[in-house]
Amino acid sequence: MKGRIVNLAAGSQPDSRSATQYRMLSRLFRERLTREIAFSMVSCVHCGACAQACHYALARAHDPCMTPAYKADQIRRMFNRNMNWIGRILSGRLNAGTSAADADMERLRDIVFGACTGCRRCTFNCPIGVDNAALIRFTRGILTEMGVVPEGLSNASRNQWLSGNQMSVTEEEFFDSLDWIKAELQYELGVGDLDILVDKEDCDIIYAVNPREIKYDPHSLMNAAKLFYLAGESWTLPRYGWDQTNFGLFSGDDRLGAFMAGNLYRAAERLRARRIVVSECGHGYRSVRWEGYSWANNQQTIPTESVVETVMRYLIEGRIKVDRLRNTGSVTFHDSCNVARYGGLVEEPRWVLKQVCSDFREMYPNGVNNFCCTGGGGLLTMPEYRPLRLEVARIKADQLKVTEADTVCTMCHNCRDGLGDLIDHYQLNMKVVQVMDLVAEALVLPPGNEGNINE
Amino acid sequence: MSEYLRLLEHEIHIAALSFMGLAYAIRVFWLFSFRPVTEKSLPAGHPSRTVASSLFTVARPWTIEKHRRTPVFYAQFVVFHIGAAAAISLTFIIPHWPELLAIEAVVRLMQVTLIAAFVAGMARLYRRLSDPSLRLISTWDDYFALVMMNLFYVLGAWTISNRCGACSWIVLTFFLVAALIHLYVPFSKIVHYLYYPFVRYYLGKAMAHRGIGRYVHPEESSWRNKL
Repeated sequence: MKGRIVNLAAGSQPDSRSATQYRMLSRLFRERLTREIAFSMVSCVHCGACAQACHYALARAHDPCMTPAYKADQIRRMFNRNMNWIGRILSGRLNAGTSAADADMERLRDIVFGACTGCRRCTFNCPIGVDNAALIRFTRGILTEMGVVPEGLSNASRNQWLSGNQMSVTEEEFFDSLDWIKAELQYELGVGDLDILVDKEDCDIIYAVNPREIKYDPHSLMNAAKLFYLAGESWTLPRYGWDQTNFGLFSGDDRLGAFMAGNLYRAAERLRARRIVVSECGHGYRSVRWEGYSWANNQQTIPTESVVETVMRYLIEGRIKVDRLRNTGSVTFHDSCNVARYGGLVEEPRWVLKQVCSDFREMYPNGVNNFCCTGGGGLLTMPEYRPLRLEVARIKADQLKVTEADTVCTMCHNCRDGLGDLIDHYQLNMKVVQVMDLVAEALVLPPGNEGNINE
Repeated sequence: MSEYLRLLEHEIHIAALSFMGLAYAIRVFWLFSFRPVTEKSLPAGHPSRTVASSLFTVARPWTIEKHRRTPVFYAQFVVFHIGAAAAISLTFIIPHWPELLAIEAVVRLMQVTLIAAFVAGMARLYRRLSDPSLRLISTWDDYFALVMMNLFYVLGAWTISNRCGACSWIVLTFFLVAALIHLYVPFSKIVHYLYYPFVRYYLGKAMAHRGIGRYVHPEESSWRNKL
C-alpha cells in the first residue's frame, strides 16, 4: 500500500462525483462524530508505540503503512479538514485533507476493512489511550453509508436486513435443523423427554445462536441443548430474532446493529424471558451484551450473558457435573478480542476450562493482551484480503506453536475459523475446538443413564 | 536587567499564558460540544478503580507493550517530560523566585534535568527521522514541536548558568522561546497533555463499564450480571 492521499481541498480539481462524495463525507462526519471519537482524533502524538501492538505492523515490519497510527491518520486527515477548526486554518501543518475520488475511497476501504481487524490491541497499548479501533469502525460506518464496502460484508449485511439472519436461513431450515438436533440428542442421551422449544413464553433463558449452528455446525447448538437438559433449565429459542450475530458491528452500520440486536431484545420481551444467553460467538456477545443496547436505544433490564458464563453458573450452583478426565489432551485458550478486550470475559472461560480439562496451559500473551486470530472484524467474509490476513497470521501461529498444545480452544465462531485457517496455512499440528465442545465432552450423565454416547 | 527582558519575563509571559489558557478552554469546549456515547447496558465493573488505573497508565509502564519491550523508550519519555516541567517552572522561578537559583543544588539539579531532557529529545528526533513508520506518520508539527522543545531545554540549562552573569541575551531568548511555545502549543501536538486526562477517562470509563482489565473472581463474576 502506498502512503498517498488526494487532497481535494488543497486544490486538485474534483469531478462532480467526487464533489458529491466529499459533501456526503462531510455530512456523515458531522452527524456521527461522538465526543470519544473526537478526543481520539485530536490526541495522537505519533509516538509509534501502537506499531509494537499490532499484528499487521509486527508481521509486516517492512511496510510502514501497517502502523495503526498511519491507518487512523487517513481518517484523521478528513477530520482535520472537515471538523477541526485548526486544521481548516492550517491544513498543511496537520496534513489535513480529504479523499473523495473513487480511487481514494477504495484505498481507504482497503485500509479500514482489509488491513485492520479492529482487535483493539493498539488502543490498549497506546500511552495516551487513543482508540484507533473506534476510529476504524467509525470510518467503516461512513464508507458503508457511501456504498464503499467489500462485497462479502455487504451481502451478509443485506441478508440480515432481509431475513433477520446473516445466512438467510428459512423457517423450514430452522425447524428441520432443530428436529434433527433433538432426535440426535434423544438418541445420544437415551432420553425421550428432551425437547427444543421455540417461542415458549416465561422461560428462564432465551437462547440466541450463530446461523452457522443451524446451517453447517449443529453440534454447537446440540452441546447447548445437552447442557440445558442436564441442568434442568427452562429455555427457548425465539422463532425470529435468534441470530445473535451482527454485521452492523463489522460494517460500522449502527442502524443494522440496532435492528439485529433489537430483534433479540424484542423477542426476549415478547416471550417474557428472564435472561438472554448467547452461544459462543465473539462479536455476537459484544453486540448483544454491550453495544446492542446502545444502538437500539434500549435500556437493559434483564441479565445478558455468554453460554460460557452460564456453564460457570451451573457448575458453581452444582446443577451439572463434569469429569475433567474425559478431556486428557493438552489444551490452550485463545481469547477472542470481542470477548476479552471488548467484553471483559477473561477469567470465566479459564475457570470453566480448568474444570473440564486435565491439561490446560496458557498461551502468552493472553487475556486483554492476546493477539487477534486474524479472522476478526468480519475479515472472514472478505476473501480479497485473505492473502494479507494469512501473512500477518504468522504472529498468532508463532504464539500457538510455543504452547505445544494439541488443541486450541476459543469461545468464538470467527476465531475458530480464523485459527483453523492459519493452522492449515502454517501446518501446525493442532485442532481447534470451542469451550462448549469440551464442556459437552466432560458432562456427566445422571446415575442410571449411560446414554449412547459411544455409538 | 534590560527593559526587554523585564517585559518578556512578566507582561509578555503572562499574556502568552493567558492566550494559551483561552485557546485551551475553547478547544475543550469545542470537543465537549460533540455528543457523548451513552451506555444502555448494565455495568459489570467498578468504575473508580478502572478509571483511576487508566488515568495513571503513564506511571504504569508494564501496561504498555512498547514500554515493556523497550524500557529505554519509557525512560526517554519520563526524562523528556520531567524536563518540560522543569523548563516551564523555570519561566516562573526566574522572575518570581530568583532566590531559589542562589542555591547551588537547585541550579545543578535543574541543569542535569534539562540536559538529560535535551538528550532524550534528540534521541526522539533521531528515532523519528530514522524509523520509516514514524517518518511516514510524522507531520511538520511533529518535527517542529520536538525541535522547539529541545531548544527550550538547551536555553533553559544555559539560562541558569548565565542568570548571574552578563549574557542576558540568553535569558531573553529563553523567555522569547517560552512565549512562542505558549502561543504555539494550543495548535500543536504538544497539547496532548491537556487531552490526556479526558481520553484516558473516557477509555477507562468504557472499560470499567464492561469490567475489562481487572481480575474477577469467578464466583463474584457469575453474579455480577445480576440486577
